[in-house]
Amino acid sequence: MDLFLNRLFDALSNGATYALIALSLVMIFKATTLINFAQGEFAMFGAFIVLVLAVEQGLPMWIALLGSMGLSALFAAGFERSLIRPFDPTNHLPLVIITLGAFLAINSIAGIIWRFDPRAFPNLFGSGVAVEIGGATLRWYTVGVMATVAATAILLTLLLNRTKIGLAFRAVSSNLESSELVGVRVGPTLQFGWALAAAVGTLGASVFAADPFRQLEPTIMVRVLIFAVSAAALGGLDSIGGAIIGGILIGCVQSLLVPYTPIPNDLSLAAAVVVLMLVLLFKPSGLFGTPRVERV
Amino acid sequence: MASAPRFQFVAGSSEHSTYRLIGWVSLVVLLVIVAFAYNDTASLTILDNEYSLGLTRITKAIAFILALLGLQVVAGFTGQLSLGQGFFFGTGAYITAYLVQDKPLFGWNYFTSLIVVVPVCFLLGMLFGIPALRIKGLYLALVTLGLAAVFPALVQLQQLQEYTNGAGGKLIDADIVAPSWLPLDGIAGAFQSIPLIGQYFGDGDLSSREEDRIWIFFLMTIVAVVCFKMVSNMIASRPGRAMRAIRDNETSAAVSGIDLSLYKTLSFGVASALGGVGGMVYVAELGIAAPLDFTQLLSILFIVGLIVGGAGTLSGAVVGGLVLAFVPEWASSTESLPGVPERWLQGPTGTLFLGLLLIVLMFVLPGGVIAGVRQLRARFVQIIPQAPGAAAAAVAVDDAASEEIAGDLDDEPSVDVAVDESDETTDTTKVGGEV
Repeated sequence: MDLFLNRLFDALSNGATYALIALSLVMIFKATTLINFAQGEFAMFGAFIVLVLAVEQGLPMWIALLGSMGLSALFAAGFERSLIRPFDPTNHLPLVIITLGAFLAINSIAGIIWRFDPRAFPNLFGSGVAVEIGGATLRWYTVGVMATVAATAILLTLLLNRTKIGLAFRAVSSNLESSELVGVRVGPTLQFGWALAAAVGTLGASVFAADPFRQLEPTIMVRVLIFAVSAAALGGLDSIGGAIIGGILIGCVQSLLVPYTPIPNDLSLAAAVVVLMLVLLFKPSGLFGTPRVERV
Repeated sequence: MASAPRFQFVAGSSEHSTYRLIGWVSLVVLLVIVAFAYNDTASLTILDNEYSLGLTRITKAIAFILALLGLQVVAGFTGQLSLGQGFFFGTGAYITAYLVQDKPLFGWNYFTSLIVVVPVCFLLGMLFGIPALRIKGLYLALVTLGLAAVFPALVQLQQLQEYTNGAGGKLIDADIVAPSWLPLDGIAGAFQSIPLIGQYFGDGDLSSREEDRIWIFFLMTIVAVVCFKMVSNMIASRPGRAMRAIRDNETSAAVSGIDLSLYKTLSFGVASALGGVGGMVYVAELGIAAPLDFTQLLSILFIVGLIVGGAGTLSGAVVGGLVLAFVPEWASSTESLPGVPERWLQGPTGTLFLGLLLIVLMFVLPGGVIAGVRQLRARFVQIIPQAPGAAAAAVAVDDAASEEIAGDLDDEPSVDVAVDESDETTDTTKVGGEV
């Protein structure tokens, strides 16, 4: 029972970080039906900026985090404007290639600047144990991650449903051409989506790296991206709630399903890929997504 | 008519075949020269950086070329964006390593291992092609990227340790040895005795390592040529047409009676088999199959190779393979550049360059290098397609050709050649007509 609880807490904290990255994927997918393959790398770079601001510049942790989220958002907005917008939004192939190029470039720039030695990430949520249930321990870290995800989801929902730019964003994601016809400025709205996604992604990578058992290094998000993609697909790729539930479920697959079945632990990534494949095969719209109709 | 091509050939005419023959012969001569001149030590020094041109890297390029050839089939011709080519490359490499290295049971030759590698990769590819029947475009890219990401963990599994040697990688001590009947020393000597350029072919007899390298290079080139011939035949025939139809419009292909599931899985199978052959070449050249060589980074680099060469062109695979084999190597040999701090030249600069190259290419040359070369070539050489059968068609082509050349006469100074050209064209079309 203790072991089960410990694993459940692991599942929740892992799942919550996957949910954050999945959220950032979903933000872009909602608006453009595009997957940004470089999302994980954007996020990793943002986490390094947090590290630089907090450790090398000595800023308070929360200010460093917010500053880095702002910088990531600016960077992503510039990225969208200069590299994504010039292409036809309905033709995905060139856009995917661009994001793959960005994946390689950002990953190697981080490798050149910070090398590949793991670095300790400052503590975000306080250390130690929050609650002890029998032999199982719920760490403050897990509590903090869960709270962060919940807060992010609430803020995002409010932003999308209560603000003007949120309304424009929903209009564009529902129907790009019609929203253009009624006067929504599509370009800046999509740019807003990219910026928001990058900020959420940076938060996700920082939270992920802030686990005292982990360290930050440039390849940290490569695996996480696959888990997050599975989470986003499971949740339906265009649903905020779906991304969070998908993230938690993928966390459960990794930390609960795999240990209790004969699947070797090293193959938890494979398990996530299998989930991704099954979802796309049998229910491409995921648990909460909007089914897409293809017209000839 | 100022931009009328300098040379014109009617497809299928004897001039056209001569033109092609000249092309092929010069390719073979080039390969022989490359093999002997760039053996081992050749290098190029630019701005105090030494860039090696050694033959082993060209053999490595052949491995990438084969994998890219496969990617061309599935992504370039069938339009299924697969980010999983690295998986099959790795599978081929590991199967070869196992079959060649595990002596009591196997201890096979590298080439006999192909009889296992090719079918296994083909079937695996077909198997992974099945989801592609329902998963399209972007989603397929996601699933295949996941597949590629899983590979290193898969070969490092405890249960497979015995076969794959886990994280350390599977080392092979069997080498491909040049046969003694081959007069490699003699050829090298002949090259060395050529005045002026002889100095670039090294000095004296070749060491046995050098001989082996040349031998491996030639063997692998033959493997590559056979694969290219097979793929180009396939592309030119019914399956190839079906694949291109699927790429251009899946729905209309299905409506025209093309069996989508058959040809999609087939293209995945062929692509994966070629990936496996590439893995064999890779491991034969490197002598080790290590899990971290086959991460998803490799699969993404294959996409770079696909785009750099040009998706949907077979020759693009050659360009892409060479780029993938040389650029990272050269980037890491660049240790000093004027105006660039040294610490910016250490680390994964090659990957950075390839990533930026990919982005830049999408803007300036989306068709890849081959599209650029073709545009350039079109200024000099024109192949006039000949309508099947009917002398009438030949006459029409003849007229068109003469008219264009007549236009050429007006503003080009090289009158003689142009006239010759037109005469010959007329002759051959007559011959064509008689046949």
